[in-house]
Amino acid sequence: MSISQFPPSASPSPASSSRLLASSSPSPSPASSSSSMRLWRPAAQRNLRNQWSKLSTCRQQWVAACSGGRAHATSLVNSYLSQKYIPMMEFGVLCDMFDIKKKALKKLFMQQSSYRIKLLSSYKEMVAVVVEMVNASRSLRCYMKTSSGSLIQFSGSNEDSNDAGDCGGIHVFNFWNVSAFEAMAEELVDMFKREIMLKRLLIMELASLSCEEVPQPVKLSWSAELYNGEFDDLSNCSLYSIEVAEPILPRLKEDNLVISFVSQTNQPTAEILQMYLTTWLAEVNIDTHRMDEILAMVGEEIRVTF
Amino acid sequence: MEAVIKKWQQKLRKAKEEMEKWEALQVRWVSRFSNASSIIQRLQVIQNHGSFGALRCVKGIEDAVLQKEMDQLKTLLLSMRNILEEFRGCVLTFEKLHRDGSQTLKMELSKKRAEERIGVKPCIADCLEGLSLLYDMHQSEYHLKTSIFSALSCLILKPSPGDLNALQYLVVDQPNIPNNEVQHIFDVIFAEEIK
Repeated sequence: MSISQFPPSASPSPASSSRLLASSSPSPSPASSSSSMRLWRPAAQRNLRNQWSKLSTCRQQWVAACSGGRAHATSLVNSYLSQKYIPMMEFGVLCDMFDIKKKALKKLFMQQSSYRIKLLSSYKEMVAVVVEMVNASRSLRCYMKTSSGSLIQFSGSNEDSNDAGDCGGIHVFNFWNVSAFEAMAEELVDMFKREIMLKRLLIMELASLSCEEVPQPVKLSWSAELYNGEFDDLSNCSLYSIEVAEPILPRLKEDNLVISFVSQTNQPTAEILQMYLTTWLAEVNIDTHRMDEILAMVGEEIRVTF
Repeated sequence: MEAVIKKWQQKLRKAKEEMEKWEALQVRWVSRFSNASSIIQRLQVIQNHGSFGALRCVKGIEDAVLQKEMDQLKTLLLSMRNILEEFRGCVLTFEKLHRDGSQTLKMELSKKRAEERIGVKPCIADCLEGLSLLYDMHQSEYHLKTSIFSALSCLILKPSPGDLNALQYLVVDQPNIPNNEVQHIFDVIFAEEIK
């Protein structure tokens, strides 16, 4: 394909929406002259390949962190339920052993605490993945560096307010302009952003599990930080609302109305706990088919197989 | 004569390879089955709104989880159906080995020669018997698997943990393919290789 065949203005991609058209800059940016266009394109292509590879890697890291978290959550639930059942259990000949039930309870309690710590660290891992995805999805544009003498250089940060970083909305590879890539990335990352908040709710519930027999751990509320720096991470992903000083509430779709508070159940039954684990596993916010489709479409466009 | 026996042993070696293929399918089959069975057991809990606890504050969560689980179940059942088809392929191979064997025997050899024995080597009748048994076992097991598959599909609508557990035993056990009998067949055929 030769350069001269490129149409002068942005060619809307087959998947373009009105939003895409609206966001391509209306006034010609300084980068749209044909020579800088020729220089901009390879830099933009390299950047897009890098960022999308990052997104695809993040997806695998998410799967790993999630399944680790699920294992910890299951163990945590099991040690909690065992503690609840011990007082009702028949110990047979073991009855004669001094304080056997108390010791067993203590041991299970310790187990539960250690799983709680592991679960929270899985959560931290998952948040880190989402943060990285958000960062990658925001770094798809490629800006011109103004301060570099005769040599034109490009960077990820904007230095000129006239430079939208998309070279006037021209296509980068075959059909898509930068905005089209951004729309795809946003759709993908949004799934994970919603899922992490749902997971947060589950973790809050699971981490606050406690039996009456043993000293209560600190009850967690929605506005409590689950690890040091969590709220900074969440703000980074625009998942933290400064007005109400707590993370935004979990929801399934962006336009979904939510009840304005998160209520806690004090003594969830085994059935509810099973439901929590099922919900953890189900990942209702992550539409795997759509995700594969997005990655396949992008992969085809930028000629990379994920 | 020795060369003829060697040819027959070759057929059984082919059968052994087919059994390894079957074994690999069985591993996948068991895992799909237990996953599907766990989902079916969970379905009732999911349909009970009381079991959502704190999740109830997330609007639409019940439907979303149910939908996701049903999708997953559908994928599993589809995959099981494909594995079943591959099991059938194995049965067809066993059938062909057996049929080819009996035809060769009819065309080439008298009954007396078929029972001729050289040292620890198997006689031709042993080989054919082995092929016939292996074919029977795998065919019956295939039929059992098909029935289990339809039983599982019925249980989706009316789950019963007891039935699911019973099915699980059958799935893991493969009652139509007793290991010691299979071992015995191969011990006779490849007696000279036993160390």
